[in-house]
Amino acid sequence: MISEQAKQRMRELASRYPMARSAVMPSLHIAQQEEGYITPEGLRAVAEAINLTVADVESVATFYTMYYQKPQGKKIINVCTSISCYLRNCDSLVSHLEKRLGIKRGETTADGNYTLNTVECIASCSSAPALQVNGEFYENLTQESADALIDQLDRELGVEKRV
Amino acid sequence: MSEEKKEELVHLTIDGMPVEVPPGTLVWAAAKQAGIEIPIYCYHEKMPPLGACRMCFVEIEKMPKPPQTSCTTPVAEGMVVHTKTEKVLKARKGTLEFLLLNHPLDCPICDKAGECDLQDFTLRHGPGNTRFDLHKRHYEKPIPVSNDVMLDRERCILCQRCTRFSSEISMDNGLVMISRGYKMEVGTAPGEAFDSVFSGNTTEICPVGALTASTYRFKARPWELKHTASVCNNCSVGCNARVDTRVDRVVRLMSRNNDAVDDGWLCNRGRWEFDYVNSPQRLRTPLIRRNGQLTRASWDEALTHIATRLKEIKNQHGAQAIAGIGSTRTTNEEAYLFQKLLRQVLGSNNVDHHHGAFPGVRDQLTGKPWMMTNSIVDIERASHIVLIASDPYQRQPILNLRMKKALSKGAQIYIVNSAETELDRLATLKLQVPSGSEGMAVKVMLKQLLQNASAELPAAEDVRTHIQREEQAIRAAEDTFGAQMTTRLQSLADALLTAKGAVILYDEMATLTTGNQDLAADAQALAVLTGNINKPGAGVGPLFEDANSLGARDMGLLPDAFPGYQAIDKAGLAYDEILGNAQVKALLVMGANPARHIADGKLPGSLEFVVVQELLLTETAQQADVVLPALSFAEKDGSMTNVDHHVQAIRRALRPLPGAKADWEILVALAQYLGETWTYASPRDILLEIAEQNPFYAGLTWEDLGKQGVRSLEEQEAARV
Amino acid sequence: MPEMIITKNLDVPGIDKLDVYRQNGGYEALAKALREYQPDDIIELIKTSGLRGRGGAGFPTGMKWSFLAKNDKPRYLCCNADESEPGTCKDRVLMEQIPHRLVEGVIITSYACKVHTAFIYVRGELAKAGREVERAVDEAYAAGLLGKNILGSDFSLDVIVHRGAGAYICGEESALMESLEGRRGYPRLKPPFPAVVGLYGGPTVINNCETLATVPAIIAGGGDWYASFGTEKSKGTRIFCLSGQVKKPGNYELPLGVPLSTLIYDEQYGGGILDDRKLKAIIPGGSSTFILSPDKVDTPLDYESIAAAGSMLGSGGVIVISDATCIVGAILRMTEFYRDESCGKCTPCREGTFWMTEILERLEHGHGHLKDVDLLMDICDNLAGKSFCPLGDAATSSITSGIRQFREEFEYHARYGCCMVSSNEKKQQQPTTASEPVGTH
Ligand SMILES: Cc1cc2nc3c(=O)[nH]c(=O)nc-3n(C[C@H](O)[C@H](O)[C@H](O)COP(=O)(O)O)c2cc1C
Ligand code: SF4
Ligand code: FES
Repeated sequence: MISEQAKQRMRELASRYPMARSAVMPSLHIAQQEEGYITPEGLRAVAEAINLTVADVESVATFYTMYYQKPQGKKIINVCTSISCYLRNCDSLVSHLEKRLGIKRGETTADGNYTLNTVECIASCSSAPALQVNGEFYENLTQESADALIDQLDRELGVEKRV
Repeated sequence: MSEEKKEELVHLTIDGMPVEVPPGTLVWAAAKQAGIEIPIYCYHEKMPPLGACRMCFVEIEKMPKPPQTSCTTPVAEGMVVHTKTEKVLKARKGTLEFLLLNHPLDCPICDKAGECDLQDFTLRHGPGNTRFDLHKRHYEKPIPVSNDVMLDRERCILCQRCTRFSSEISMDNGLVMISRGYKMEVGTAPGEAFDSVFSGNTTEICPVGALTASTYRFKARPWELKHTASVCNNCSVGCNARVDTRVDRVVRLMSRNNDAVDDGWLCNRGRWEFDYVNSPQRLRTPLIRRNGQLTRASWDEALTHIATRLKEIKNQHGAQAIAGIGSTRTTNEEAYLFQKLLRQVLGSNNVDHHHGAFPGVRDQLTGKPWMMTNSIVDIERASHIVLIASDPYQRQPILNLRMKKALSKGAQIYIVNSAETELDRLATLKLQVPSGSEGMAVKVMLKQLLQNASAELPAAEDVRTHIQREEQAIRAAEDTFGAQMTTRLQSLADALLTAKGAVILYDEMATLTTGNQDLAADAQALAVLTGNINKPGAGVGPLFEDANSLGARDMGLLPDAFPGYQAIDKAGLAYDEILGNAQVKALLVMGANPARHIADGKLPGSLEFVVVQELLLTETAQQADVVLPALSFAEKDGSMTNVDHHVQAIRRALRPLPGAKADWEILVALAQYLGETWTYASPRDILLEIAEQNPFYAGLTWEDLGKQGVRSLEEQEAARV
Repeated sequence: MPEMIITKNLDVPGIDKLDVYRQNGGYEALAKALREYQPDDIIELIKTSGLRGRGGAGFPTGMKWSFLAKNDKPRYLCCNADESEPGTCKDRVLMEQIPHRLVEGVIITSYACKVHTAFIYVRGELAKAGREVERAVDEAYAAGLLGKNILGSDFSLDVIVHRGAGAYICGEESALMESLEGRRGYPRLKPPFPAVVGLYGGPTVINNCETLATVPAIIAGGGDWYASFGTEKSKGTRIFCLSGQVKKPGNYELPLGVPLSTLIYDEQYGGGILDDRKLKAIIPGGSSTFILSPDKVDTPLDYESIAAAGSMLGSGGVIVISDATCIVGAILRMTEFYRDESCGKCTPCREGTFWMTEILERLEHGHGHLKDVDLLMDICDNLAGKSFCPLGDAATSSITSGIRQFREEFEYHARYGCCMVSSNEKKQQQPTTASEPVGTH
């Protein structure tokens, strides 16, 4: 559900820019905040707020990778696999996380807690390998620090210790 | 071309050939003019350059980093272009190879085969074999994007012509690009169809077989088709079309660019709604009512019978007992002969056709007959477009595109309509007035203008008397509209006064709604008072309904006018009177269906004899005493006059249906049976006669019409003769 | 150590806050600019300083500003903070740690260019950077540094922080404008250039985040002072993002013209190759630039010298590759990036990056053919210079330069279906080090 408040914020954004259309990306961010990913309803709400067609908004939304096209886990782990991280062993970091979380890259755990993605360079090259959890950086990772991170996230989620 | 003009041209050399073109021309177009083909996919002449497909490479001397794309490079004085160097050929071959990576090899079952740019260019410019030995991308085979259009994403080369048509030309943004990079595909909003009356154009501009028409799919192979340059018969815009036929059937209409009329587009109705032409229900022999039943008869029987009955009725009741209802969809020549038959052969002025309510033959203020004073192209030059009780999207679709073109050039659109219209979304202002009060909205604007003391308004006194008479009604209307809407109407009136150019349009048939009787005259007054007449990008007038609605008026299918709006001393009965006056005993109907305009659908019982010329057994034809099988627009020659008075030729595209005759042939025969000798051997003979009599057609010949027609106006023609 | 300019005070605690930034001299340059200079004077000053764009192309900044079309359309400034070139991580640090330096640069630049609406386009993934910049902008508004009549002058400026949403191509200036206008990030046709027809059709300046963050220092210190750093044609300092297989990766601000070897080996900076291995290759300016061989390690880090050595200074992302790495795997990884980030508008880039990735993948995984190597070179030839925007060209840089220098590694993959680097490792039976070689199977 897109709240009335969110719709109001979208309309305000549309008047903030020299051209209403410019508000489409910030509005999509709002829609995603509300629903976790971009739903048909989210597209419709944005289209209405900015007076665009739904297809038009969808076309913009699908161009940008941060607008998720399907539901994501509560903790979205994006591991950078671009060249600088690659030279610092990010691939084994990904494999390790895959094993630890029991999912493959691009998947979400059955309990909906974690989504594990690999992403392109996140501007953490000189502190590689790096990942983001819900947008926040964790850098210079080793298997041990990655494990500690997951432990901490588990605690935040109230997950029992895994066997 | 004058000397002066010539100096402005830019000179360049393409493959050693000197070329001169106007400044701003793209290298691609300059090459085309020189007869040099440069392959293109993303570029389309009606859309701004995109430069995306990277097919149109050329090498230009002194330009950095060869090759350049010719579709994005404007010409420059002294430019030296090479279109066939090794670099160019390698680059084109490279692009084709890229495009073919994922393109399926299903040409044998592809509708586009034979007219596919990918097929053609691969043959001429492409690699001989493939170096790609990996898996091609796969998508579900054709999926419908609407009821009319199928999308095969595997065949799509992502040139974006279709989606750019949707965003830049039809502006309905229904078909879009989804995802990006190698995952990009064409698509619609989730769960929504590409519902646009213009969607068919995408099947035409798609350079490959990715978008195809569901009606045309697998119907024919392009090389089996016969093409005829003609005009669409669907609405009053008169879009130029290519009629594609195969063995006595029309399979599709394709656009045939005429910048002045259609700008290269065709709506879905024009493109696909011609079933009546191919219908197995088409009438193939004359029918005579015998013992209450319509039974087959020979032409001789039928015509003899008609002549006899008409003479009897004329003798018994006088010529005034005979009336004729003509067509808005038959040719000028046929309309002309129809009124001539009634007036000269049968002696009755009771001739009319179904049309809007216009006071008198000409507008009192301007002295002009009722038609748009602006050209279609003027719409695109307007700064303000005011649509009153009209919805071109539904009724004159291709004009809607012209309005959108104006919009992209900065025009403002104002809509006064009781209903929702497609353009509302893009309009500067939409005033949704109660049904039948669009006319009052115009009066409110006129009142505002007359109150404007500072403006010196032409013809103000004539209008003032009229508006004062309506004072009370106008005040009542203002109350109904409410303060806000009234103020908006008043500001609109003021805005029109200072507009660079305003085009004010209303639907012909909206004048028939109760409350809108004065719409035509008042709209005309609005344009006169605001000075939006006789200047570029400005004008006023009715949007007519059918392909030859204006032609019918021009030809004198009116009770009070001879051809060319020449006044008649004693007017005949008008359309409603013909259908309501018991004095009328015999009725001739050509290509019209008046039964539809009668509440119970029954022609008056007082009619003793009804003759109908028709393609199919319509409601009216079913009640006739004699039915004569006629030919459709696709089976005959003739001229038609569109909404902005372009006289254009329709041409025989099909072998005429055996047993049926063109309406003009029927009329010539009928005249003969009535004892008159008409010697017209073809529509061109009739056009010559029209040209002699009608100032709007003065001097016009069949040859003049050529492929693009002529916009003929009274003043111009007067000057020309 | 040379005096630092852009990274000066970066580590002062609380420098992200307005008051601390001001205590350390922040916004004095702005006050000086408004007080002492006419807009055109600032443009001249920047020209004198020799500042060149830090976004990649290295275009002289003052000259760019002076190209703005003179017409009655509103002008705009876009700060390009869409940092996403693999190997580059400097703008992020500036935004996260000292956002006011950027905001100050934006205000001064807007004043110089007579702009009244500026946008800071922050890469979507950089959540913290976006937050910090937004907060700095809010603080600046509250302190009268933004909005109407800035610091009592008659100059007014509105700044909108706009967040991207995941598209490398939006770092390309015209795609960035499309994105700001709410469209898919397709690059636009040039000409017209942004300075003539840019955002919303108005004349527009687009500068990189680091470029703009350098402006206050130039106002404060003077054009000649700034020009005294660096080389004849590459003046000033810039942040080099050192990454890959070095001991001490990091962001190091150095005057232009310092040799690559200093950055890589000096104890103050890179401190040498990771695990003391041999240097195999250097990518000097982000993954879009040509790979340099180790014999180029003494090349000075300035625009001209790096170009003469056969590559580009680019975004300042210096990526170091040691002999533990298989070049095929590394190039595959970079090519995947361009495949995923190609906007898809033009055929050669969209299809070419896809095809090249497929071929590299099969080579890497041992299913390739010898002819694939020449095929790759030919695909690069059909792509480079044929694509709509430079992203397509960039996708070929590592492949062509990689094959030229390491052809035998590619052929080894094709012949033996496995990697030359790991086979050599096995042959030599070296003890495995803490960091196992990557790109092996
Ligand atoms: C594919 C591509 C990606 C780019 N990405 C960035 C970027 O992330 N940040 C940036 O500042 N410039 C980027 N640029 C360069 C910009 O187009 C532009 O030149 C630069 O922002 C101008 O600023 P400057 O003159 O201050 O360097 C990119 C260029 C291309 C072709
Ligand atoms: S080179 Fe072409 S497909 Fe690639 S990013 Fe540029 S325009 Fe898009
Ligand atoms: S036709 Fe020129 S690039 Fe597509």
